[in-house]
Amino acid sequence: MASPVPLKEKRLLDVRISELPSWVLMRDFTPMGIAGAFRRGYDRYYNKYVNVRKGSVAGLSMVLAAYVVFSYCLSYKELKHERLRKYH
Amino acid sequence: MLSRVVLSAAATEAPALKNAALLGPGALQTARIFHTGQPSLAPVPPLPEYGGKVRFGLIPEEFFQFLYPKTGVTGPYMLGTGLILYFLSKEIYVVTAEMFSSIATIGLLIYGIKKYGPSVAEFADKLNEDKLAKLEEAKQASIKSIQDAIDMEKAQQALVQKRHYLFDVQRNNIAMSLEVTYRERLHRVYREVKNRLDYHISVQNVARRKEQEHMISWVEKSVVQSISAQQERETIAKCIQDLQLLAKKAQAQPVM
Repeated sequence: MASPVPLKEKRLLDVRISELPSWVLMRDFTPMGIAGAFRRGYDRYYNKYVNVRKGSVAGLSMVLAAYVVFSYCLSYKELKHERLRKYH
Repeated sequence: MLSRVVLSAAATEAPALKNAALLGPGALQTARIFHTGQPSLAPVPPLPEYGGKVRFGLIPEEFFQFLYPKTGVTGPYMLGTGLILYFLSKEIYVVTAEMFSSIATIGLLIYGIKKYGPSVAEFADKLNEDKLAKLEEAKQASIKSIQDAIDMEKAQQALVQKRHYLFDVQRNNIAMSLEVTYRERLHRVYREVKNRLDYHISVQNVARRKEQEHMISWVEKSVVQSISAQQERETIAKCIQDLQLLAKKAQAQPVM
C-alpha cells in the first residue's frame, strides 16, 4: 500500500493498522522529541479550549477530571480493599 | 515585507518543524494537513471566538460526532450509562464515604458555576475589552499622528508650489523701494539745485538793494548839500504863505 505521503510524516489517525508498528518505531524518542511531543499536545489542547475569546469552564474541568481519573487509577490498589462485596 | 522575513525564518527552521504539528487554531479540525510544508506564521490569525464544544463540561463534542454514524444520537449516552453501571457493579469504582462528599462538592461547584458563570464571564470579557480598547486607542493615536504628519507634509509640499507668490511680492517690494529711493534722490537733487540758485538770486537781490539804498542816500545827501542858504529862506517864506492861505480857507468853511 504505497501512499503518496511518506509514512513518517502522517498523523496517527491516518496511519493504517498494518503500518502502525513501523510508524511507532519511526517516531522520535529522544528526550527532545518526547519534550516536543508533550509541547505539541499541550499546545493543541491550549489553543483549542483555553486560548479563545470566550472560554468556558470545560477547558479547566477536563484537565481536572483527567487528573481525578488518573489518580484514581494510581490508588486503585489500595481502594480494592474497601470493596463491599468480595465476588462480583 | 515582514511576512517575507518571517517566511524565510520559518524556512530555516523547517527541518526542525517537520515533525511538529502545524500551528493554526481552528484549522486543525477541518483539514487533515500532513506534516509537510512550512507553516506560515504571518499574518497571525485572530483568536477564535469560542473554544471546542464540550458536553457536560467533560466530554468533547468530537466523541459524539465520532459515534454518530454508527449509533445515532443516543449512542454515547448509552455507552456512558453502561460504563458507569459496569464500573459500579464490578466495583471497579468502589463506593466509599468519599463518594458522598465528592457528590456534594461537585454539586455545589456545578450550582455555583451555573449561577455565577455568566457574570464572571462578563467581567473577564470586560477586562479583555478594556485591554483591547487601550491598545486600539494607542494604535489609532499612532495612526492619527502619522496621518497628521502626512497631511502637514502635503500642506508644506503644496506651499512649495505657491512659493512664486512670495517671490513676486518680494520682487514688487524691491522694485517699489528702488523707485522710492530714486524719486527721493531726484527730489534731493532738485532741492539742492534750487538751493544754489536761490542763493545766487538772494545774493543778487542783496547787492541790488544795497546799491539802491546807497544811491538814494547819496542822492539825498547831494540834494541836501545843494540846497543853499538863500533857497532855504525862500522856501520857508513860501511855506508860511501857503499855510496862511490854508488857514483862511479852513476858517471860512465851518461858517457855511
